[in-house]
Amino acid sequence: MSPDLPTSRPPDFPSFRPTVLPSYRLVVAAIVLAALLYVGFRGAGKVPPVGPLLDPARGIWALARSAELPARSHGRIAGLSAGVDVLYDDRGVPHIFAASEADAWRAQGYVVARDRLFQMELQTRAASGTLSELLGPRAVEADRADRRRGFPWAAERGMVALDSGSLIARAATAYAEGVNAWIDAMGPADLPLEYRLLRARPARWHPIDTFYLFLQMAYTLAWDDETLAKLQARALVGSAAADALFPRNSPIQEPIQPNGQTAPRYDFVALPPPGPPDSVALVASRDRAELDLALGWSPRRPGDGDAIGSNNWVVGPRRTAAGYALLAGDPHLELSLPSVWYELHLHVAGGPDVAGVTFPGSPGVIIGFNRQVAWSFTNTGADVRDYYQETVDDEAHPARYRLDGAWKPLETRVEVVHGPRGVVLATDTVRFTHRGPLARVGGRWLSMRWTPFEAARPGEDFLRLDRAGSVTEWLDGWKEYVAAAQNGVAADRSGAIAIRSTGKYPVRPGGRGDLLQDGSTSAADWSGFLPLAQYPYARDPAQGYLASANQQPVDPRANPQYFGVNWYSPWRALRINRLLRADSAVTPAAMRGFQTDPKSERAAAFVPLFLAAARADSSLQPAAALLAEWDRGYTRENRGAVLFEAAMSELAGLVWDELLPREELADTAARPAAIPEDAVLLELAADSGSVWWDDHRTAAVERRDQLLAQALRRGLARVLREHGPLDGSGWRWENAHHANLFHLLRIPGLSALELPVQGGTSTLSPSPGRGTHGPSWRMVVELGPEVRAWAIYPGGQSGNPVSARYLDRLPRWLAGTLDTLLFPSRPEELPAGRVRARLSLSRER
Amino acid sequence: MRAVVAFLLLVAAFALASWLGWWGVPLVAGLWGALRPGVAKPIRAAVLAALLGWLLWLLFDAVGNPAALARVAVRLAAVLQLPALLLLLLTLLWPALLAWSAAALACGLAGRLAPSDPRRHRSP
Repeated sequence: MSPDLPTSRPPDFPSFRPTVLPSYRLVVAAIVLAALLYVGFRGAGKVPPVGPLLDPARGIWALARSAELPARSHGRIAGLSAGVDVLYDDRGVPHIFAASEADAWRAQGYVVARDRLFQMELQTRAASGTLSELLGPRAVEADRADRRRGFPWAAERGMVALDSGSLIARAATAYAEGVNAWIDAMGPADLPLEYRLLRARPARWHPIDTFYLFLQMAYTLAWDDETLAKLQARALVGSAAADALFPRNSPIQEPIQPNGQTAPRYDFVALPPPGPPDSVALVASRDRAELDLALGWSPRRPGDGDAIGSNNWVVGPRRTAAGYALLAGDPHLELSLPSVWYELHLHVAGGPDVAGVTFPGSPGVIIGFNRQVAWSFTNTGADVRDYYQETVDDEAHPARYRLDGAWKPLETRVEVVHGPRGVVLATDTVRFTHRGPLARVGGRWLSMRWTPFEAARPGEDFLRLDRAGSVTEWLDGWKEYVAAAQNGVAADRSGAIAIRSTGKYPVRPGGRGDLLQDGSTSAADWSGFLPLAQYPYARDPAQGYLASANQQPVDPRANPQYFGVNWYSPWRALRINRLLRADSAVTPAAMRGFQTDPKSERAAAFVPLFLAAARADSSLQPAAALLAEWDRGYTRENRGAVLFEAAMSELAGLVWDELLPREELADTAARPAAIPEDAVLLELAADSGSVWWDDHRTAAVERRDQLLAQALRRGLARVLREHGPLDGSGWRWENAHHANLFHLLRIPGLSALELPVQGGTSTLSPSPGRGTHGPSWRMVVELGPEVRAWAIYPGGQSGNPVSARYLDRLPRWLAGTLDTLLFPSRPEELPAGRVRARLSLSRER
Repeated sequence: MRAVVAFLLLVAAFALASWLGWWGVPLVAGLWGALRPGVAKPIRAAVLAALLGWLLWLLFDAVGNPAALARVAVRLAAVLQLPALLLLLLTLLWPALLAWSAAALACGLAGRLAPSDPRRHRSP
């Protein structure tokens, strides 16, 4: 095996020792190489393809190269009419200076894709029913639900009907050009981490994707219309009681449209006792539950509180310290990483000059301000969805449905769900009546009508708001807005303030939208929409301010029109109105303070009831003492909030035992299928002898105070069990409750979890339930001679988890501080020391 | 001296080949092994050169943005539920294994197929 050394061996290789590899080493090398190549190209089990992942030139390590924006860079976008300058400030906010609106939208598409490409694609796919193409079979059911819900049907119909010359068509097209220009320009290091983990490449962006985005947002904001809750309640306690538990009008009136009162009005009445179960409703409620399931609708979960809600308010010059109008807004949405929002400034020569936040995928600014006007939105929560029981020609495979005595053809679509490599994962036939998607539920065929499907130009209204020069123009700019209905507030530099709950509100023949309709007659169809004059609205009111926090928008005594039922309890509305009434010289700093105010009106209402109930029980005195000294605040170190929330949670389960499904009565851990709002619970508390206080699972007949004491006792036991002794350090709100910002793919390593946070259920800075929702953007704007603005959102501008801009805002958001926003009218106005990067965009050659 | 130059060239070849894709490593190693250059322990040289070729890339990124590179390690380690240091070691072990197996295989096959010129038969 070892021949003699050659005599001519070069001196450079002293250890030269000719040999031939033994066979077994060849075999081992071949096996190892084959295995490495296989794992490298294909991965193994849960291990992704290792080769492209670890590759230092193009793999994950390359992300370090694209983590931060280069100081100077250049990009090309086909169709630009002139060059566009983009200056990124030290907060990572792009200031886009363009010669035309279309160029600004192109540049916007480019810069947003540069920072948030994966998020854009993921949320669009979540609406178009194509998640499986990216995520594989695990997303099949979500995709099928999207398609059954009619999203692709509606978006495609909208695109076909869209006037190509319309503002939104031009904007969405320009935006798509910008996004695709970035996709084309991406280098190996620019491919976002998520695509690498999923072994995918970015899809091209199309104008319809912007429509999908707005459908997805409408879906997010489409709270359950409470038909299900009410049906379930009717099934158990009869109609009269159900109507009282899930009332059309809030028992506490502090409406968005001022009603001339200087304090909230409590319209409490005695709740009717539980009636006999309604067997018809029982069937209907089961159908409705199945329908929600069939259409992929997620009813508001009991216990979530006002997880998806928002605050906004404006203060007129008479009540501000500086004499300028002030505006504050903080939409409460899912707290994701990256954030649902992207902040930017669009400056168009001779056109809009607007800053604020937008959804990645949407042209223009959604919430923000320009040189004259500032605005923000809260969700109205209007009932804009109805269900119809249809008569079809064939129960198994219907082709026609009955309307006014005649058969009408059903529109059908064959929906094919594909996997990542084009493999067919599911095929469904989805049918539509003239109202919307049709689904078979419990042996019946039900169709659904929903206002977002009827938006001819979704997103266009926001582009008009960007151009508004006054509150009047702002109000005019979105008078045709369809969905999801929003309570929009605005203020301008002249000192005008206004609020309007805007969106298409269906006019139903019965006046109510919370009942299953008869689909066999067109008389059951919506006869139109409420005229603009009927919308809840106020401008420059005598009280000097306006506020909304998802409460019932208008006092039914002032406007009896049907907008919805079972409104969120108005705790946040009560709090902000209290704060604004008490301050006649509001400052921007005070506005910021209000946004993170830790006090709870809900606690203020219920704590005295607990204290009164605990008086007779000596074992509850430590708990009562703690609640008595509690300031009703949800600050991080607070102990009272820990006990109060535990007691309130127990109370709901104890009081509403009548709403437990009969088969779950024996289960002590069972929760009612539908839980009335806490405002109704407070209404009940006014009647200490009501039969609703009796826990039917016990032999005794309980009254209010007994049940409250029992809830406090159970709450105390729970907290002691979970957090240790009363005088220990475990009893801190920050230990009991956390904010959780999940990465879009729910990857813990890319998420920010278990964050100590100030605020709880129904505080102005809410953090209810699992802490996954909360203030997604806090903004304060002063409309003085020069518009000044402050804002923050959790997370950062970059969607790249290895970027310093991925989480850089989080500490300030947690601390409740706001960043001062830069709003230069020329590139030169941006202080040189605060410019972090420059991007020049030019026409493609 | 020639050996050092050859080795440095090999390191550069691995680094450049990786720019095309990770599969450039076995390709270069295979070529290296098949050619059976006149260096001592050519397979070990390939292993070391591949490792250094990838290390060069990492150093390049570390110089450009050390904090970002550290965040890559930390974030991805969290995603994969591995210690960050292990991830780094895996990143270097991967090209080394690829280079060893490809060079050894090519070297061995070439040795068996080539005419019996003793200069063409060298130990790994």
